[in-house]
Amino acid sequence: MGAQDTQKRIALIGWSLPIMEAADRLNRPFVVVGMPNCQDYAKKYDLPFVSWDFEKMNKQTEMEDRLKHAEELYYRLKDYGAEHAIPLFEETVEWAGALNALFKENPRHFYHSLLFRHKARMKRRALIGGLKVGVFEEGKNKNDVKRFFKSINDACLKIDNKDYEPVHIKAFDRAGAAGHRLIRSEEDIEKKLTDHNFPCLMESHLDGTEVSCEVFIRNGKILFLNITEYVVFGYSMMAPPSPEIEKKRPQIREACQQLIDAFDIDCGVIHPEFFLAEDGRINFGEVAFRVPGGHIYELIQRTYGFNAFEGHLLCCDPNTTDEELHDFFPDETKPKGHAGSLLVYPRVKYIQGLNIPETLENHPGYDRHNMFTPVERKVPDREGYGNHHGTVFFYHEDSEHVRQPLQDFVEHDFYI
Amino acid sequence: MSVNPEKTLQSERFVQALHTLDQAQPFVKQLYQNNFFQEASRLMDSMDGMQMLYQYADQFDQAGVFEGGPWEDPSKLQPNLVNGSLRVDGLESVVTILSELRMLSIAKERQQHEKVTTTMAKKYLYEVMALNLDFIFPEETEQARIEQGKETERAQRLFQVIVDELSLKAISRTLIQEIKRLSIQRPIMVNRIHLMIHKGEQLLHTDVDEQDREELQQFHGAISRLTPLSQTHSEFPAYRSQLKTLSETELRQEAEAFSESMRETGLVSPYHAILVRYLNRFKPEMLPEALKLNNKGTANFEEHRPLIQELIKVAIHPPTSQSLYGLARMLERGVLSHFPVIPSLRRLIELDLQPDVRKTLLEAFPDTDGLTANDILVAGILSVLGQPLGIGQGLNPTCQSARALSLWSIHAPGHLLHLIARAARDGDIDLTFEGDRIHSRFLPGGLTPELHKELDPVSLVLVPHLDRIYAEMIRRVQFRLDDPHKWVNPAFYGEWIPRGFTKVFDHFTGNVTDFSPFVRLFYATHHPEYNEGYELIYPNPVGICVTTVHGKMLGFHAVSIQRIKKDPDGEYRIYFYNPNNDSSQNWGQGIEPAVQGHGEVEGESSLPFHEFVSRLYAFHYNPYEQGDAFAVEDSIVEKVEELARNSWGQEYHWTGKNTLG
Repeated sequence: MGAQDTQKRIALIGWSLPIMEAADRLNRPFVVVGMPNCQDYAKKYDLPFVSWDFEKMNKQTEMEDRLKHAEELYYRLKDYGAEHAIPLFEETVEWAGALNALFKENPRHFYHSLLFRHKARMKRRALIGGLKVGVFEEGKNKNDVKRFFKSINDACLKIDNKDYEPVHIKAFDRAGAAGHRLIRSEEDIEKKLTDHNFPCLMESHLDGTEVSCEVFIRNGKILFLNITEYVVFGYSMMAPPSPEIEKKRPQIREACQQLIDAFDIDCGVIHPEFFLAEDGRINFGEVAFRVPGGHIYELIQRTYGFNAFEGHLLCCDPNTTDEELHDFFPDETKPKGHAGSLLVYPRVKYIQGLNIPETLENHPGYDRHNMFTPVERKVPDREGYGNHHGTVFFYHEDSEHVRQPLQDFVEHDFYI
Repeated sequence: MSVNPEKTLQSERFVQALHTLDQAQPFVKQLYQNNFFQEASRLMDSMDGMQMLYQYADQFDQAGVFEGGPWEDPSKLQPNLVNGSLRVDGLESVVTILSELRMLSIAKERQQHEKVTTTMAKKYLYEVMALNLDFIFPEETEQARIEQGKETERAQRLFQVIVDELSLKAISRTLIQEIKRLSIQRPIMVNRIHLMIHKGEQLLHTDVDEQDREELQQFHGAISRLTPLSQTHSEFPAYRSQLKTLSETELRQEAEAFSESMRETGLVSPYHAILVRYLNRFKPEMLPEALKLNNKGTANFEEHRPLIQELIKVAIHPPTSQSLYGLARMLERGVLSHFPVIPSLRRLIELDLQPDVRKTLLEAFPDTDGLTANDILVAGILSVLGQPLGIGQGLNPTCQSARALSLWSIHAPGHLLHLIARAARDGDIDLTFEGDRIHSRFLPGGLTPELHKELDPVSLVLVPHLDRIYAEMIRRVQFRLDDPHKWVNPAFYGEWIPRGFTKVFDHFTGNVTDFSPFVRLFYATHHPEYNEGYELIYPNPVGICVTTVHGKMLGFHAVSIQRIKKDPDGEYRIYFYNPNNDSSQNWGQGIEPAVQGHGEVEGESSLPFHEFVSRLYAFHYNPYEQGDAFAVEDSIVEKVEELARNSWGQEYHWTGKNTLG
């Protein structure tokens, strides 16, 4: 390490090998905060490591109290010379916020991180900042949902009970689709909801094509904007998006900047989701402050040719110099092609083997997949979209050769 | 030559994946391994691809192909696991193929490895080849063709590459040695030996050495058509009716041939069983010859002739022919002279069996017509009473139960037969522990559902019960301040186990503590020169650290010391029973348990005294039978400690009184 020891260390909050690799390639001294089960691995490879049981701590402490509980972790990281914390997963965002509040002796960092961890707070902030959001409320029980469902339908003049306007129920603090329920009728409220769903965010339905953005930010300005098209929500995505969506890049960029201003973000990477309505309106869904899922960074690397994990670190690290950022990001409007990922979930309870169709492997857009028949044949029950078992990657210059199979093969059973 | 563009693309992608993996830091290799395995697995689908993989195999270690996985250290790989791994649909077979190709490149001196020499790699691959003859000589039946998947085809391609690079001749020697090594221990279960003999049969059609061919043929004959008569009349009924036409001299020749072979190999041909059944009916006076009994055996036979004839009628059939060897050995051991044995055996012939016991026994002999579960059980009992050191744990972690069966077979056959009857008839056995009766029937757990069924009939019936009781005894004392075995072993095995107990590990810290007093105590209680001449009377169940050929800790294991005596060369040796039936493994540092040549009896392994002690970590002793620990020379203690420290001891902290600090 030698000379690097004089540099300030960054604390990576969450165990992520690609991020550690990026830090290593950028010559950034780091310390990792991970679950206790990562300890042996870290020791084997001599990686600076602080063990922290996020699962247990998140169960034992209320979100708001984590600033107080982060003190022990703060002292342990200080021993490593860490001065800045970067969150990598949804469950570590407020911990990183708490640590930064302690590093910078400014509690605002913690409360700022909570904006990303409480969906109602997030929406309110976006609304204040002038973004277009759905109608939303916080719900404490099924009666609240009934009332909200009725008020939305009253407002939309949906009084006959055939064609109700749906509403969404979401957990305040969970990533992806975990805890998400779509309510289409009064019966749904009884059928689909239990006490575990509360408290929750209740939200009117937003129409439109869903995209996510990966916005690399420095000094409150966008350095690079990737747009990812959700081809089949929760299953397949493509970056950059189809030409119709690409046409709207200036408007999407504008919405992202508006979001940055509204949330008062100086540095880092945000991962918002927008709904692009047919009338041209851009509705804000939600925003995360961490590495996105679904292999999106791999898609970016494939098509834009730079390492997005490195980009993430460079944008998040306050010590990054302007020289380092100069020329790092390519022109976002000049991708080499379109890259797509299809997340594969087994639909069987017990896996007998793999079924990779020849039509897939011979498809011009097919790139590779990472599936082997797993050792553990029993498929665990999943909540939300959970962890996918495998991924199929696509790549082609023509977006249709990527988008079409992303749509078609969602129906295919890769695990039989 | 035309170039297949798709193949070129595949090769390019493979080389690129290897390059990417190679460039990655060790701690992130796993991010790139999957993609490499994907590309490699595509190449395995053609012979060209397999060849190409071998061309790059010398780079695999360097690139980190095996980093962080079970294949990382080639010196720890075990040849007998390869066949199973190659059949797994999934990553395991892919990595195994890559690992074998790596080994081949070491064997062919295409790369040097710090832990595996060329010779070691060759020896490993010869063993792998010997154990995978089914891939080298694929069965060309329609059924085999339909059943085989892509894994089988890939494995066949792998062995084509290996056979091209290494000679087939070398494996016939390995195979014969392996067959001999296992059969010399006279195990009850001979499935693995049979399998190897059948595989060896295929080598007879290649250009093997003449001597090897003869030996292979001898083994093959031992389990099949040994005599000219059985060759010309290979159908069982035909063979039997042909026996009727033989003169007494011819019958005697037939009996001699089979009994010779049985004594030579420990293996029994089904024709031998037919012959014995025939003699039993028409010429029972020839039975001692047909079993080649020694004087003691013959005397026993004469004394108990009606019972033995009944036992043959019940238990000796072509599928259970192996029990003939057990019967012969049982007679020579004089087991029938134990008063309770005869009535207990009679009871078992007619015992009402629990339905699940009957099912288990019949399933163990699937290819039999008309055999009853009682027949099978009695056959199993003959084996256990005749070959107490041939009892094996199979693939189950039940060395404790196997040791118990072995001890009882030697010293308490009546007790053993009682337990068998209880388990088979009542579905329950009970043992007393510190004043409480512990009934197996009421206990959960144990290994019953997962018990690997390749076991002798007695073990199939008893081990599930014994294992549950053992686990329960351990559970009851697990929070006491010393090792549970101290209390459990005497209660489980019986009064034969001395009450004194010691081990090298501190119960709380797990550190090796006071090693030198441990060694001294063992010498003072067990070594005839230091223990005032007390002889070991009953087997002593001890704990040992099994080590690899490189002396690395492999795991804890339970064996029983059977005898301690000077060998024919005048060196003190410890003779022990290893319930894994594979006793001549190489433990590193030149320590290789012997199974013959040093005065061992059938089924025993032996080591020079100090070498055994260097692997010992726990033993029982009789506090009233010990000599002076201080009389043991420092040089001996040092020698033992050095061997221990430089092998399994490397995994532990050493504290307390040790000679070497």
